[in-house]
Amino acid sequence: MSAAMNRAAGPRQTLGLRRFMGRHQSLSILVLAIIVAVALPLVVTLPIISGFGIQKDWVTGFAQAGVFVLLALGLNVVVGFAGLLDLGYAAFFAIGAYTFAYAASGFTGLDFPFWPMLLVGAGVAAIFGVLLGAPTLRLRGDYLAIVTLGFGEIVPVVFNNADTYTNGTNGITGISQPSLYGLAGIYGFGFTNPYLYYITVFVIITLVIMLLYRLQDSRIGRAWVAIREDELAAASMGINTVTTKLLAFAIGASTAGLAGVFYSAKLSSVTPDQFKFDVSFTALAMVVLGGMGNIWGVAAGALIVYELQSQGLKQLDQFMHALNLPAIALGPLVINLSQINYINFQNLLYGLALALMMLLRPEGLFPSRRRRRELHEEPASDELASPDATGERE
Amino acid sequence: MKYARVGAALTVFAVVASACSGSTASPSAAAASGGASGGTGATINVKVGIELPMTGGEAPNGVPTANGVALALSQIQVPGFNITINQQDDAVNGKHSADQGAKNMSALANDPSVLFVVGPYNSNVAQAEIPVSNAAGLMQCSPANTAVGLTKGDAAKALRKTYPDKIAYVRVATTDDNQGAGTADIAYNIANAKTAYVLDDTQTYGKGLADGFEAAYKVFGGTVAKRDGVPDSTTDFNSYVTTLKSLNPGIIMYGGVTTSGIGLFRKQMAQQGLATIPLVGGDGISDGSAATPSSYLNIAGPDGDANSYSTVAAIHDIPDPAKFSNDYKAKFNSDPGAYSAPGYACTQIFLEALKAVSPGVTDLGKLREAVRAYVADPTHTFDTVLGKVGFDANGDTTQHTISYYQFDPTTKDWKFLKQRDFTADPVK
Amino acid sequence: MTTAVQGSRSRLPVLDRRWLTPIGVVLALVGAFLLMYLGSCSTVGAGTCDRFSQGEDQFINALTVGGMYALIALGYTMVYGIIELINFAHGEVFMCGSFVSWGLLTNLGFTGPISDPLLLAGVLVLAFLVSMVVMGVVGVVIERLAYRPLRNAPRLTPLITAIGVSFILQNIIFVGISNSFVNSPQIIPNPLLELGAIHIRLINLFVIVLTLGLMTALHLFINRTSLGRAMRSTAIDRDAAQIMGVNINSTIALTFFIGSALAGAAGVVQGLYFGVTQFQIGFQGGLKAFTAAVLGGIGNTTGAAVGGFIIGFIEVLASTYGYGRWSEAAVFTTLVLVLVFRPTGILGQQLADRA
Repeated sequence: MSAAMNRAAGPRQTLGLRRFMGRHQSLSILVLAIIVAVALPLVVTLPIISGFGIQKDWVTGFAQAGVFVLLALGLNVVVGFAGLLDLGYAAFFAIGAYTFAYAASGFTGLDFPFWPMLLVGAGVAAIFGVLLGAPTLRLRGDYLAIVTLGFGEIVPVVFNNADTYTNGTNGITGISQPSLYGLAGIYGFGFTNPYLYYITVFVIITLVIMLLYRLQDSRIGRAWVAIREDELAAASMGINTVTTKLLAFAIGASTAGLAGVFYSAKLSSVTPDQFKFDVSFTALAMVVLGGMGNIWGVAAGALIVYELQSQGLKQLDQFMHALNLPAIALGPLVINLSQINYINFQNLLYGLALALMMLLRPEGLFPSRRRRRELHEEPASDELASPDATGERE
Repeated sequence: MKYARVGAALTVFAVVASACSGSTASPSAAAASGGASGGTGATINVKVGIELPMTGGEAPNGVPTANGVALALSQIQVPGFNITINQQDDAVNGKHSADQGAKNMSALANDPSVLFVVGPYNSNVAQAEIPVSNAAGLMQCSPANTAVGLTKGDAAKALRKTYPDKIAYVRVATTDDNQGAGTADIAYNIANAKTAYVLDDTQTYGKGLADGFEAAYKVFGGTVAKRDGVPDSTTDFNSYVTTLKSLNPGIIMYGGVTTSGIGLFRKQMAQQGLATIPLVGGDGISDGSAATPSSYLNIAGPDGDANSYSTVAAIHDIPDPAKFSNDYKAKFNSDPGAYSAPGYACTQIFLEALKAVSPGVTDLGKLREAVRAYVADPTHTFDTVLGKVGFDANGDTTQHTISYYQFDPTTKDWKFLKQRDFTADPVK
Repeated sequence: MTTAVQGSRSRLPVLDRRWLTPIGVVLALVGAFLLMYLGSCSTVGAGTCDRFSQGEDQFINALTVGGMYALIALGYTMVYGIIELINFAHGEVFMCGSFVSWGLLTNLGFTGPISDPLLLAGVLVLAFLVSMVVMGVVGVVIERLAYRPLRNAPRLTPLITAIGVSFILQNIIFVGISNSFVNSPQIIPNPLLELGAIHIRLINLFVIVLTLGLMTALHLFINRTSLGRAMRSTAIDRDAAQIMGVNINSTIALTFFIGSALAGAAGVVQGLYFGVTQFQIGFQGGLKAFTAAVLGGIGNTTGAAVGGFIIGFIEVLASTYGYGRWSEAAVFTTLVLVLVFRPTGILGQQLADRA
């Protein structure tokens, strides 16, 4: 906590660029997002990276990774900003996805357009965020985590078994695609052109990041930090912990809702088994690995984890076999790196990568400036450690 | 020091990996050597995509199916083509993932040399892939999907959104309604059971099959004493067995696959002395003899399970049925899985189509479309390891024959009972 | 970890406080049995179905599987109590334990029941000993490599390494042993014992007795030995414990050893009771056990045991009433309801408020 005060009181060492970015935050985010959006498809054409897939494959992956970036950004609000450990985040993702599935498919016969449904999906998810968040307000730390985990388990089971309302295990198919209604000659987005989805998800992510930055620097953002650091102190300073926490749940959930709408529109089908616990913990791993609390870091973490799991390790087999490396002899052992069946090993490698990345960068790959300060400038301030789920440990 | 630890870990991995890779030859490597020998003169390099769950709990379903494809490619050559495999895996975090499936399908569609895809295994994945393969005009053949809505009715039209009348998805297994009727036929007419306890694994295949059973069983005149579902991750079936004891039904019908734990259910029944009640299931449980590791019969009991029946959605009286499993065993040193032969059949269909359309065509894009059109054409039939297979206007196999099997205690394997064609001889 | 219950209960005029626990346990068990009794035979005519024996069977099923969950939950709760880490890899330790006993028993050449009681006892002791020691060591190694370097890192960091470790353990089995079910030798014969009105199979009796025995042993160890005292004091205040001369590192390692050994024991039970194991059972087992630990009050060993049994009962109840497909939802709904009304679990202390 004293680190926070240091920052507020001390003179800010700012470069010209940083000052500009501080003053024109949304513009800077926009410019940065455009740079990244243009750079990513170019980077993947570089040698080595292109061995894992052609540009179109990578962009398909990026569009899908965008869903996880949104999930990570939303979860970061709950876990990183407000310090509430949520292990059932996939529930809100499911709710967003099913909202759009109901609104635009043959199952209900409705056909609402995609763009306004983005907001509706976010809104519905936010309502559920509050509904599911409300009973957990009394809970502290890891009890909160397990209740959210419980909700995360219950929601897919309900979607799976309430056949009449959800079409059960078969899920809902034939969901409408986004359309520009002839603008720039584009109607439905279709299934073969990933670039349209890529641009769409980038626009959504950019807007979300702009909003999150504003929230982070607002009164609410500061209230979240206060609650994260010390709930009792925050309450005694006049912060309404109930509404502040519920707001974190609602905003986190609404981002997942956005992701859900985009996801179901892109995939055109939803089934309950797409929203199980593994989505929740993958999103959590993305947040922690990226650097809790750091918006850009979390987005980068999501991209890295997704690409590692769904492109890098999945295509490692093709890549290594194409390399045709000579065998390496280690004494009696002959290792032929091009002959190993990497498909079998991908989950082992994924686990190793997760564990090693966390061991090498315990604060995440891109820790937020605030946390870095807490960890490195005051290693001895143990007694100030917060008791909540995500604060620093004793 | 930290980096030293990373290095050590990677070295350990490399050693473990190379130690294991001796026994688990990757299918793509195996096929590459088989296909290369067939080429003469100017060969065109083309690929068959395989899109199946290869890791996690569903690997026992996906891997033998992929092996079936590799076996077909190694045995059958098409002059002028060097055919290799583009292997994709739709399992993420150890289970099938629809969005990974759609992504894999896009990757296969983006690879111009891929002319045909075998897969997927799960209906939920198929739902996400059919729109992609349809839009890309890339024919995919599922060895395992049986959910009715994938091909029939408005739901299927909605899946084929881009070109509703262009079929780019076919399947060699007939739908749940037929196979469900087959299991009901066994239960009512062969096992003479008038009451049934129906259990499904709460997954698409299991629930669909159990629904098909219930519908047909009631038509036959049977009574469903109880219907329940058991989540596919369950290992403790004892409470279901106890319930079963009080019902004392004429037969148990299980809708589900071996990897959902039906073998355990049977084992726990045997433990409580209830293995005398017969059990019937679909092709998800006819996955090899009692000697096949991890098969239903292998898990059910040390000597298999005397009172089990199963169905397979395919005809039985094909020429030399043992040849396929012997060839498979010779190549992979294990028994074929439940869907190895369908995987083989899908590949045969592709190779036959390629042979028919290839003269004079060298452009990969044209070949892909020609293969798609040839396979989808309802007038064509294909000679496969599953017998003569053709596809109707929806892409469903025209072969609606269900084969019935019963456990044979002497060979400790499934024994063919009879087969019934549900087109010629529907349930009345 | 298990400090005496304090508060308003002692004001009850008639009952002595120490009678409350046994009375509560008996009432809970009777209630559970009643629920099972009422749920049984729901679709069959009363004449053909013996409700009492049905209820009794279901009751024993629940006790057995609940005991297994409790064994796993103990490790969860011990680790949580001492370093406040949700050890997601713990379920995989249970799974690996079942593979250790599978490997041992199949390599010794056993395939079915052993009729010689002496040999049976010897093999059982050996199987449990080997599996518990091996998994205990594995637990210590995991702690040393994956958690100890992160003791001063942000609290969620070890949670993610735990997920990484669980991937690693799962896939070592996946790649190295089997990608599907393997038959584990059920060496205990399976006669139906009749003890008065109670009908119970030997294996169920064995599992229940073993579970209760291990729990009692653990309870005594934690509360009556100096090592146990070191564990308790480390859990309450690590720094103070260190000042008082407790070796923190070895105490935490010991906690991991015991917790993982118990999971290893649960793994042996898995093989003996179900006769099957698979590389993915750790996830569900771990999830249920984690739920059990929280339900009982995380950090509290008695609570973990209670939670394990409760979850076993809920699962069995769901299928007794014919709602098996909702059993997972039933477990988690109960959990949510319990925590809404008792935010620190059934037997939980105000752990989470501790700085």
